[in-house]
Amino acid sequence: MLSAFIWLPLLGAALIGFWPGNRAGEKVRSIALIIASGLLSLNIILGFQFDTKVAEIQFSEYFSWIEWLGLNYHLGIDGLSLPLLFLNSLLTLMAIASSNKSLERPQLYYSLLFVLSAGAAGAFLAQDLLLFFLFYELEIVPLYFLIAIWGGKRRGYAAMKFLLYTAVSGFLVLASFLGLVWLTGASNFDYAPLLSNNLPVETQLLLLAPLLVGLFIKIPIFPFHTWLPDAHVEASTPISVLLAGVLLKLGTYGLLRFGVGFFLDGWVVLAPWLASLAAVSALYGACCAIAQQDMKKVVAYSSIAHMAYILLAAAATTPLSLTAAVFQMVSHGLISALLFLLVGVVYNKTGTRDVNSLRGLLNPQRGLPLVGSLMILGVMASSGIPGMVGFIAEFLVFRGSFPLFPVQTLLCLVGTGLTAVYFLLVINRVFFGRLPDHLAHLPPVQFGDRAPAFVLMTLIFLLGLQPSWMVRWSEAQATSLVTQNGKLLSQVSIDARRARPATIIVND
Amino acid sequence: MADFLFQISWFIPFYGLLGAVLTLPWSLGMIRRTGPRPAAYFNLLMTFLAFVHGSLAFRAIWHQKDQQLQIVYHWLQVADLDLSLAIEISPLTLGAMEVVTGIGLLAQLFALGYLEKDWSLARFYGLMGLFEAALSGIAISDSLLLSYGFLEMLTLSTYLLVGFWYAQPLVVTAARDAFLTKRVGDIILLMGVVAISSYGEGLTFSQLESWAATSPLPPLTSALLGLSLIAGPTGKCAQFPLNLWLDEAMEGPNPAGIMRNSIVVSAGAYVLIKLQPVFTLSPVSSSALIIIGTVTAIATSLMALAQIDIKRALCHSTSAYLGLVFISVGLGHIDIAFLLLFTHAIAKALLFMSAGSLIMTTSNQNITEMGGLWSRMPATTTAFVVGSAGLICLLPLGTFWTLARWFNGSWAVNWWLLGILLFVNTLSALNLTRVFRLVFLGKPQMKTRRTPEVAWPMAFPMVSLTVFNLITPAIPMLWPFWLSPTTPLYNNDQVVVQLAVPLLITSGLVGCVLGLTVELRRGWARPTQFYLRFFQDLFAYDFYLERVYNLTVVWAVSSLSKLTAWVDRYLVDGAVNLVSLATILSGNSLKYNVSGQSQFYILTMVVGISVLLGLVISGQWSVLINYWSSIY
Repeated sequence: MLSAFIWLPLLGAALIGFWPGNRAGEKVRSIALIIASGLLSLNIILGFQFDTKVAEIQFSEYFSWIEWLGLNYHLGIDGLSLPLLFLNSLLTLMAIASSNKSLERPQLYYSLLFVLSAGAAGAFLAQDLLLFFLFYELEIVPLYFLIAIWGGKRRGYAAMKFLLYTAVSGFLVLASFLGLVWLTGASNFDYAPLLSNNLPVETQLLLLAPLLVGLFIKIPIFPFHTWLPDAHVEASTPISVLLAGVLLKLGTYGLLRFGVGFFLDGWVVLAPWLASLAAVSALYGACCAIAQQDMKKVVAYSSIAHMAYILLAAAATTPLSLTAAVFQMVSHGLISALLFLLVGVVYNKTGTRDVNSLRGLLNPQRGLPLVGSLMILGVMASSGIPGMVGFIAEFLVFRGSFPLFPVQTLLCLVGTGLTAVYFLLVINRVFFGRLPDHLAHLPPVQFGDRAPAFVLMTLIFLLGLQPSWMVRWSEAQATSLVTQNGKLLSQVSIDARRARPATIIVND
Repeated sequence: MADFLFQISWFIPFYGLLGAVLTLPWSLGMIRRTGPRPAAYFNLLMTFLAFVHGSLAFRAIWHQKDQQLQIVYHWLQVADLDLSLAIEISPLTLGAMEVVTGIGLLAQLFALGYLEKDWSLARFYGLMGLFEAALSGIAISDSLLLSYGFLEMLTLSTYLLVGFWYAQPLVVTAARDAFLTKRVGDIILLMGVVAISSYGEGLTFSQLESWAATSPLPPLTSALLGLSLIAGPTGKCAQFPLNLWLDEAMEGPNPAGIMRNSIVVSAGAYVLIKLQPVFTLSPVSSSALIIIGTVTAIATSLMALAQIDIKRALCHSTSAYLGLVFISVGLGHIDIAFLLLFTHAIAKALLFMSAGSLIMTTSNQNITEMGGLWSRMPATTTAFVVGSAGLICLLPLGTFWTLARWFNGSWAVNWWLLGILLFVNTLSALNLTRVFRLVFLGKPQMKTRRTPEVAWPMAFPMVSLTVFNLITPAIPMLWPFWLSPTTPLYNNDQVVVQLAVPLLITSGLVGCVLGLTVELRRGWARPTQFYLRFFQDLFAYDFYLERVYNLTVVWAVSSLSKLTAWVDRYLVDGAVNLVSLATILSGNSLKYNVSGQSQFYILTMVVGISVLLGLVISGQWSVLINYWSSIY
């Protein structure tokens, strides 16, 4: 069943890409919509069959592939990957639905989108280090072309920057994987968390370092982030949605799966530094976002700030904080996708994203009142107003990490406060005020433009009011990540957790 | 039936929410034929239902004495964390909710007349419904987390209500400042909630109370915790240093102002009162509460004197009275805090209704351009007089009885407290008399010549509230069990207790006399003496607090963000660009190779993937192995 998430989109890509003759954009788009809806329904069925009580790989698929290399085609799913797989299917559908109907070279465009989707799904499903790496790299290629062909003015620069960065990221991750397998003398690349147990902490740190840098580029964490704003600004709206919503999650998924899962000893040693880095990254992203004039850049920097919370939660390595990390991934995926969609609508209709030239778009007659209202809600979700998913995800992150890293958590909370600052500046400038004459004749917003935003908004509210519908998928697996790895390892983190408040008391 | 209504009184906040949802077809423009009025009627109906339901439930609880209902909903359980949302149905919480729905109902009825000509009536009622839902929720909430959620909902709806007329520039900044100022308080409160959830057993108020009684927290931690929990209500109640937003928020529609100045600010104080057991952890929290309250009470009483906008002249006194609530919470006098909130809320709501009719009729907010309205608008005049009398301690109305109770000997009181009260009372009386003279007495001016009394949708709620204000003193007497049984301390022999009530009445009288004799200035007339001008400016510009903020906090954040953006662009990204310059050049040359055919792209893709695969399978493998073996 899991193979379908990889091969169905690839099949779709081939079908759309190699279909003879030039098809009209509309037609290709509806075919793509059908395939993507099929994937999403399949994913929902998978969710219902998934057993949330057990913390192990389910729906496993295994074929021996290149034996002398130790590469096997091994797929499986657990509580960490299921929510992200769902996010991937959902946002692929949203991206297709929000794609411009009259874009050039539709066949190539939609087939690349499906390759992208297949790559991300493969990376989430892979149970083999080398297989994960293959998919991790596979997803770069279509994204490079999607930015370089359908992007904005500086698309060449942005795409090249993205490619270079993520290629380096890939190599570093691969180096760490190869080192792990070679040093432990494993016969293949299968995920085996117990593998590194007998490695000394120093070796673990040595292997962890390239892995972390590689993943930090992907997430991205300061100071490896500069490819992201450029890529977002140049990419078209659906690509930004996928980039922020799904592809960045590969990095944080890697943190949990490999960083915490394989190198827990080393991870605990580095944890205070990681938490501090998360705080720096959150504040840095927020401060940069305040100074931006391009709406998309604001959302991009806000993305950097919000992804840093996941690192903070991962650093704390308690069952609560790891569950929160997965939750924050989903929350960020939904909210940032929504914001990118709405900014895309504004850009489509007005032709600009510059906050200085836009004004008064809430105007009920000639502006974009509904898009504006959704934008206000999306911004509120992002700045953590209760009732929406942003609040409870961030609350769990902060609650999970506070006992271990109180100072870093409080700094990240300041970052949350700054979210309201930069987004309110945008709202005030773009949507409030008087609609100037040059914006008074905007093309009408079709229902189709808003539909994806409505779907995401509904999910944001639903999960915000009923967070247990999300948490239950990943809780068991998150708990097992830090408790299954032998007694000593989990003891380290629990001892650290206990020790922290005590030291504070002593210091006082 | 009554018992059933009592059992499901947790549903009352949902009436407001339902009303808000029902306005959506009109505010989204899906129904245009009917105009926005039906949305308003739905909301009024919902609020009326909430009020009736609440009244019946209140009667039920009145007959079943000592009944208290706690409903706990296990919202989310993750790992070792159990987040429960608790609701407490008790005479006190139901009473508070009755005040909310009652004032909400009157304010919504008032809005029907006040916003008669506004196009976005449906949106306004939707937001009012949200307001009401959040406020009723806070009234019955028994968990800090739930209260925090409702406080944030209030922040959001305040932002949207203040920004209701979003095309005006002053409204835009007012809405932003209202949101951000409250948000500063809320974020610090959230820090406290996160901390208290990590240290404590649970987030319901009863759990917090029992935890606070046995807590082993070190002094610094508990002091910081207390301060962070105070920060949220400080923003909500417009206390120093987060008081400026309320003044600016007066740019919003008046009916929302009625709610904001009476019950919305009270919501923050209500949560503060519920948190009082936690403040006993550290003496710092109580001192902080008293200091914040005192500074705000004194400063805003002075600010109010120099205002010429009728709404601003009234809203500063809101901060002052909420300052008194802060002081009473700091002293641990919970009953007094509740009573102050109640009497202030209904008196201030009435004053704002009266101000609303004045603004509606004269299309003017500047009191120096008004005059001679008393005979033309009798109901409005009566409302203003009764509201003022209820607010100051002179006649035996709400505030009088509250302060008299404070000084009846059952509370530990002292001279400085009496001093503050005398000061606030005198200045409040002075300010209200000044406003009354400017608006209602004297000769009619240009803008007050044609001034008929307002129509019934506005007059009816105003008159009802006037009557209610007059019978207020009976309410706490009728239902004494609203409040905790007072300790029979009775130190009647203290001089401060014996002298307090006569002194308070005298202060009210002195204030009124001062207000009657002080020289009034119409139009743009200014005093000639330098020191008078200096003080007038100082008070009128709120002690230049806004400029202080601009020069400190706002400047710091904006320059920090500019610096970060500069670093990001030139240092971090600059370094990256320098390194990859060569690659980009080659990338650019690659660009000229493109023919525009999709086949070419696919070819490139296939080649790219094969190269990557090749690297993985052959080259990288050995290279990396060699690298690693060279290390070990």
